[in-house]
Amino acid sequence: MSLATEGGEQPSADVLLDVRDLNVTFPSEDGDVRAVRGVSYRVRRGEVFGIVGESGSGKSVSTMALMGLLPPTARITGSATYLGDQLLGRRDRDVRKYRGNNISMIFQDPMTSLNPVYTIGQQLGEIVRAHYRISPKEAKGRAIDALDLVGIPQARRRADSYPHEFSGGMRQRVMIAMAMMNDPDIIIADEPTTALDVTVQAQVLETLMSVKDRLNAAIILITHDLGVIAGTADSVAVMYGGRFVERGSVDQIFGAPRMPYTLGLLASIPSLDQDEDELTPIPGTPPSLVNQPEGCPFEPRCSMAALVCQESEPSLESTDHPGHQAACHRWEDVMKMATDPSLSEVPG
Amino acid sequence: MALVEVKDLVKHFPIRSGGLVRREVGQVQAVSGLTFDIAEGETLGLVGESGSGKSTCGRAVLQLHEPTSGSVIYDGRELVGLDKKELRDLRQQIQMVFQDPYASLNPKMPVNDIVAEPLVIHRGFSGSERQEKVADLLRDVGLRPEHGNRYPHEFSGGQRQRIGIARSLALDPGFIVLDEPVSALDVSVQAGVINLLRRLQDERNIAYLFIAHDLSVVRHVSQRVAVMYLGKIVEIGDKAPMYATPAHPYTRALMSAVPVADPVKERTRERITLEGDVPSPVDPPSGCRFRTRCWRASDICATTEPELAEYVPGLLTACHHPIGPDEDITSVDVVSRTAASVSA
Repeated sequence: MSLATEGGEQPSADVLLDVRDLNVTFPSEDGDVRAVRGVSYRVRRGEVFGIVGESGSGKSVSTMALMGLLPPTARITGSATYLGDQLLGRRDRDVRKYRGNNISMIFQDPMTSLNPVYTIGQQLGEIVRAHYRISPKEAKGRAIDALDLVGIPQARRRADSYPHEFSGGMRQRVMIAMAMMNDPDIIIADEPTTALDVTVQAQVLETLMSVKDRLNAAIILITHDLGVIAGTADSVAVMYGGRFVERGSVDQIFGAPRMPYTLGLLASIPSLDQDEDELTPIPGTPPSLVNQPEGCPFEPRCSMAALVCQESEPSLESTDHPGHQAACHRWEDVMKMATDPSLSEVPG
Repeated sequence: MALVEVKDLVKHFPIRSGGLVRREVGQVQAVSGLTFDIAEGETLGLVGESGSGKSTCGRAVLQLHEPTSGSVIYDGRELVGLDKKELRDLRQQIQMVFQDPYASLNPKMPVNDIVAEPLVIHRGFSGSERQEKVADLLRDVGLRPEHGNRYPHEFSGGQRQRIGIARSLALDPGFIVLDEPVSALDVSVQAGVINLLRRLQDERNIAYLFIAHDLSVVRHVSQRVAVMYLGKIVEIGDKAPMYATPAHPYTRALMSAVPVADPVKERTRERITLEGDVPSPVDPPSGCRFRTRCWRASDICATTEPELAEYVPGLLTACHHPIGPDEDITSVDVVSRTAASVSA
């Protein structure tokens, strides 16, 4: 179990990706949409870093910015280095050197990520040929190997099939095969199993983890599903209103959350093995990313909000556990409540 | 006595050839003989993966799809074969809430009109009577009546689903089919809608057929649960044994595949990884439809379709090789099966 990725401390050789103070802003008619604000993290070799958040929290935008996949109107500031090379502010031609090669992505919907008029083998081979000078035949051979590795039966024959001939789970395996074609160091998986049924989801996650082990790569796993994060991630960041509001190891986040939003998320999902009387929803709706008020973005929905929460936005600071950070003025009160159940105030 | 009795419900969709004649060349066997009942004020959860036929079942029960055969009795009256006029009268008491609150509300109608529509059509409400009733309904589902003249796009996803629920309640139904009512919502919002549905059921004694793929949500809202696989109910019964010691291998696998938001449990949990995909409902496997993915399958499973029978108290299970409540599920065959798919 690796510790949380700490911003600014313990530089070490196995850091693959170092993101610092990433900001993404989209201009709009109503004002600037500040989709990502001050996000920093490091990803180490072999680690699964989970980013969890609800729709509109900025979790996808924060990684697409690294890959140069945002529209040109997006204003991106901050720094993101892959093994020391700056990824931000480059021309597309230069980012392309890394994209699909050292860093690859898996998206939620494989049907829109695959080209319907080319065979799977051609599309997989193209990824190798975009970066290396090898013959089409050789490329196809590597495509077949990759399909075989992600558990597609009769890979040799299936390499000549078109995307529509695959089922949803098989298509997502093709996406994983695609992401591993050039032995990447980092795989960014954005809701990779959201469109799949649970039994297929289990297969696909297993495949993804075995590919990670085989390549000794790192995975950035973006999802809204706390269960998927709990089962696969080593460290976790919780995103809300464009910011990381809590960060730590998977055990810290799920076992000892220090931010009322995380607590609220955990309280609002029903249990699979216990009966509960009533769920505790988080009242209200997620914040608008335009013209954000000054205080904590979660303050309007937070049962523990105090005056200070309206006045200033808390920064991500260390809590009682090493490597565990929360952006909450009242994290100590959250901790006291967790250790002393007689403080009956229910967060969330 | 049960409020809703469904017997041998079948819904096949014809597959037609291209061209002018449009001959029938096959059938999608979406729902193949379902039998279940729902008591007054009770929730039956219907779970299954995509393609299992659970949505088709919900629609066939409401006669939104005309069943191929079988019977649906609501409050002593047979729904199958009713003419349009009779059905329309009965639909006052049976309602449906859809998954997508974005698609099921008319974007050009203000919310007041959306909620009032059933009242106007069936009861001839107008003027202040209509206004009062709509305001009551909006309050009941946790919306502010003064927002009633806004349009659907001005509401969030959770609020839109509440509008759909308010509309379904307008005629005081005794039975509502809820088809994935919370799966399009973020978790923090989902909990509020689930609480609302449970409160409304308590207050109004409504029976629910709650169709969902999320097993945790279904556990939370249901008294009884039915598990569907490829058009059939493979297991049905009380919630407690269903989630603790299901006898059907598919139910076991399904339960074990659900990721739970607890890293400690996730590390120690036994996971049964099924191989392959759900077969096509156009040409389902002979005998037991689950046999092609089942690690316990034997010769009899290919030749004889298993009947629902009670192996675990409170559950009916359709399986030739049911799993006993005390049976060690960490048996060799399961573990090796899981290991095989990891190395694949």
